Amino acid sequence: MTTVESSKIELFDAIVAYNKEKVLAAVNKARTVMGPQEIIDALAAGMNEVGVRFERGKLFLPHVMVAADAMTAGVKVVEQDLPKSGGKEALAVCVTGTVEGDVHDIGKSIVSTLLQCAGYKVFDLGRDVPLRNFIDTCKAENGRMIGMSALMTTTMQGQKECIEMLKEEGIRDKVKVMVGGAPATQAWADKIGADGYGENAGEAVRKANELLGIK
Amino acid sequence: MTEYALRRGDGQRLFLTKNQIRDDLQDGMNDACELGSVPALSSDELDKLAEILMTPGRMVGVETGMEVPVTHDIGTIRLDGDQGNSGVGIPSSRLVGMMFHERAMGADTMELGHIDYSFKPVKPVISNEMQAMEVVQQNMIVPILYGAMPNMGLYYTPDGPFENPGDLMKNFKIKEAQEMTEKSAEHLTRDMVWIMQRMMKAGADGVNFDTTGAAGDGDLYATLHAVEALRKQFPKMYIETGMAGEMVLGMHGELEYNGQLLAGIWPHQQAKLLAKAGSNIFGPVVNTNTSKSSPWNLGRAVTFVKAAVKESPIPCHVNMGMGVGGIPMFETPTVDAVSHASKAMVEVAGVDGI
Repeated sequence: MTTVESSKIELFDAIVAYNKEKVLAAVNKARTVMGPQEIIDALAAGMNEVGVRFERGKLFLPHVMVAADAMTAGVKVVEQDLPKSGGKEALAVCVTGTVEGDVHDIGKSIVSTLLQCAGYKVFDLGRDVPLRNFIDTCKAENGRMIGMSALMTTTMQGQKECIEMLKEEGIRDKVKVMVGGAPATQAWADKIGADGYGENAGEAVRKANELLGIK
Repeated sequence: MTEYALRRGDGQRLFLTKNQIRDDLQDGMNDACELGSVPALSSDELDKLAEILMTPGRMVGVETGMEVPVTHDIGTIRLDGDQGNSGVGIPSSRLVGMMFHERAMGADTMELGHIDYSFKPVKPVISNEMQAMEVVQQNMIVPILYGAMPNMGLYYTPDGPFENPGDLMKNFKIKEAQEMTEKSAEHLTRDMVWIMQRMMKAGADGVNFDTTGAAGDGDLYATLHAVEALRKQFPKMYIETGMAGEMVLGMHGELEYNGQLLAGIWPHQQAKLLAKAGSNIFGPVVNTNTSKSSPWNLGRAVTFVKAAVKESPIPCHVNMGMGVGGIPMFETPTVDAVSHASKAMVEVAGVDGI
């Protein structure tokens, strides 16, 4: 017999198994006993577990992406059961990139991908990004967070400069700033007045949620 | 209660009691055991680590008879470098930098490296590098390797011919992303072999593949194949392969070597694969957590490296420096942190070199 509890487990397991067909089957079954928001929450719990397993080297980037794709498909199915205004919207807009002068891309891309999988709308500006572009994109897209990466001690100063530019623009208090990359630390984040620092990609997502008050 | 002056992973000063040190060592060790499924250290070994950390003095050394070989990667340009990094800005050539390390600082091997320090940018200046190798070999005695990073990211747009798998992934084009990784890896293997064939012709004693796996499992895949090809062609060359991080990131997720999935493997698993491919020396890396104490980081790093030493068929020369091996993430790590962590790696983890 399908119960709320058994459905929650099935939804969770299907996401963790990054199996789109199973996710859709579980969603359709769950709709008989669960509300749309409950189903979305159960799928999101599965995605959190996928993030943890990625962090621990048990799942890899393609698996995270397949799971995210499956979750999107599942949410699309239940969206028709939600009131019209209740459609799933992005949690917030984040602008990410590697600062000017620094061509490292991979770590920043993983953070952008995990933020996207967690439900954020991400504008990943790439690498070697002129500092002005972070601010302009943030203003244009109503961004609530800027995430800047730097892989070199010689380029991490750009993170500090961008924070100063946000102050000059008068929007520092409207935008949370997170910094990351190999040489960045919590002490560096504190020193330059950033709001957050993540030890790795998984922690960056948790920190973003915390800073933006997203549960 | 007595407090000992230690460091946090970001270099900040910390004062901890003996019990706190012991607890943090235990917690760090547990983290390594859980993540890598590696054996725990014994209670005696944890006590020994605590004793090392509590040894007063900024500089400590290994016990007599336990000395190990040391080598340097950036040593070539450390004296000359002055870009706001750890270089000291003394105008000097690469040859002078290397000779200083050999004759004044006691380095047991050295490497010649290019300022860009990746294999790909060496291609257009290969003749310069060959000439530099010849000159260096005529002036020095210690084994000289040619060192560079595989750095597969340079093969992705906008730096290289293949579409960036990271961008493709974000658009859910997973198969296409994997295909780009495979193509880049093939290209990278070819370039590394081509460069080393020429450097060997110029008299190099071998190669140091530095920060292998920085671009994930494809980067390691390419390097393993390069090692295999070079070993076949040069049976006696030294091949040192150092890693970029403790775990191989699964950017592709399905690449295998010798039946072993490369994504998600830890130092003790990496060592066996590199030996199989033909490396002589394995350079394990354990990342430093900048929010944790030095006992936590050292307990964790020693646990991982001891397991690698135990399972590795080839000597392990552990990476010790900025943000690795239990040493804080600091541009020029403090001598107290470096010397205490290095002593622990030799005396407890049993590494063959640093």
